[in-house]
Amino acid sequence: MKRRIDLGLLYSRSGSYALISDACRTGALAAVAEVNAGAFDLELVPVERDPGGNIDLYAPLCEELLAHEGLHHVVGCVTSWSRKEVIPTLEKARGTLWYAVPYEGFEASDHVVYTHACPNQHLLPLLDWAFPAFGRRAYLTGSNYIWGWEMNRLARERIGAAGGKVLGERYLPIGSLEIDRMIEEIRATEPDFILNSLIGPSSYAFLKAYHALGREDARFRPDRCPVMSCNLTECELPALGDAAEGLIAAGPYFRGEGRFGSSHEAAAHAAVMELARLLSGRPGAERLPLSQLLAEAPPGIVDPQTHHTSLPVLISQVSGGRFTVRERLPARPGDPYLTHPAPARPATLRIVS
Amino acid sequence: MKRGVRHQNLGGARAVILHRPHPVVQALTRQLHAIGLEVGDCWPDLEPQAISADFIFFDADMGHDAQFPWKPGESPMPMIALIGSEAPGRIEWSLQAGAHAQLLKPIGDSGAYSALLIARTAFDAHRALSAEIADLRRRLDQRQTVVQAVTLLAQRAKDESAAYGQLRQMAMAWRVSIEEAAHRIVASQGGPDDRRDRG
Repeated sequence: MKRRIDLGLLYSRSGSYALISDACRTGALAAVAEVNAGAFDLELVPVERDPGGNIDLYAPLCEELLAHEGLHHVVGCVTSWSRKEVIPTLEKARGTLWYAVPYEGFEASDHVVYTHACPNQHLLPLLDWAFPAFGRRAYLTGSNYIWGWEMNRLARERIGAAGGKVLGERYLPIGSLEIDRMIEEIRATEPDFILNSLIGPSSYAFLKAYHALGREDARFRPDRCPVMSCNLTECELPALGDAAEGLIAAGPYFRGEGRFGSSHEAAAHAAVMELARLLSGRPGAERLPLSQLLAEAPPGIVDPQTHHTSLPVLISQVSGGRFTVRERLPARPGDPYLTHPAPARPATLRIVS
Repeated sequence: MKRGVRHQNLGGARAVILHRPHPVVQALTRQLHAIGLEVGDCWPDLEPQAISADFIFFDADMGHDAQFPWKPGESPMPMIALIGSEAPGRIEWSLQAGAHAQLLKPIGDSGAYSALLIARTAFDAHRALSAEIADLRRRLDQRQTVVQAVTLLAQRAKDESAAYGQLRQMAMAWRVSIEEAAHRIVASQGGPDDRRDRG
């Protein structure tokens, strides 16, 4: 007999990051279908709430799911800003958020599981790979909230430590399309690469304008000065069209590695499957606080101390409309506070031409 | 003064929580483990190894001076007060004990990381200022020796400002402070030395 367990989904189906929400939602729903059709003693019933991209609706809607609907587990949130908004609600209701999007680290909530990458799994290996390939002079962009700020602060630190230089750093409010100044500054400073931590329409506008700049001036083409990011996946390529060509992204998964369309889909799927594994055969376990749920089960993908997961690092470049993997590094545990030594780089010699 | 926050090297750092067994200790230990620190707790006395800890979290509600093997305010590591009752007397005691940052009880899901960084930054700043003040004090104490050295040198120089210039040159050549150069000149002339009241 299957136990019915309600599972909250808290994704914005409209607004500036709807494409990412949809990818996560697809992965979560695919896992729900799999669990329900499979040998688990569970039937997961999705209960959806849609904040519509409005930051102030996340906490009340999360509270509605936990306090009024009586749920204990929610898969959701895309921006770090929204995740930080719901944590007090989770704490109060002793609920758990399963978060399936790359983020900037420096968090390890007792009520959140982080199934996508943090900086030791995206930004740092990406920069280490880019320095010898392109150089150490960077231009940094970002949306005006914690993701862009912290990614760029970390990048600045890493670039400085490597003897490189940050030639410019500029932010836009979420949703803003005023990218002209960034493009002018890049044209003037001629960096070796651009680290792009803009999100949604700002990012699409910037990437299209930069692609156009590259068409008129070869110094700004992907072979000379590529745009790199840690949050670009297949789910946003349709919004970019031709402008996606040559973009470089770091992530734990790219289409073609398995059956998922993007790392967002894969991470949300992994979250729901892990939750099902933890609940399976344990009636009432859905009401346990996360720490206890993890402690009393055989070890799975979630590190009981940090609530992060171990993920491989793939560095890919868009070519012919799809990502092609250019570098593949073994799985490493998420290290949200960057307090553990990085794994040694594999000792492969490369031919420098 | 602009000062960056030192956020590296927390991995493997050791924190000691001076608090009676309580959910506060569990919640704080969870946060510190997630950050990557080693954690010990003790009560009512600090364990002898605590002297080499990198951070001390101490109970501001039940704490008292005799718990610490150092003078109030002279801890060799950053100290973070765990404050339950926000009574002026307890806050005053925490400050005298040398709190560099604080966390309010009950301890929840977060707060330890910022307390660690703020405490370390305040501790470093306090230590740098203390060293600077001690150095300035020492130099103030040596004013008389500098005057004596300039007077000695002026006997052979054109005037006092030339003598002072000469003293600076000597200090640079010997790679010592002006005060130290003055001391050497006065000592070599067998003149009186005012350093007896240094301390």
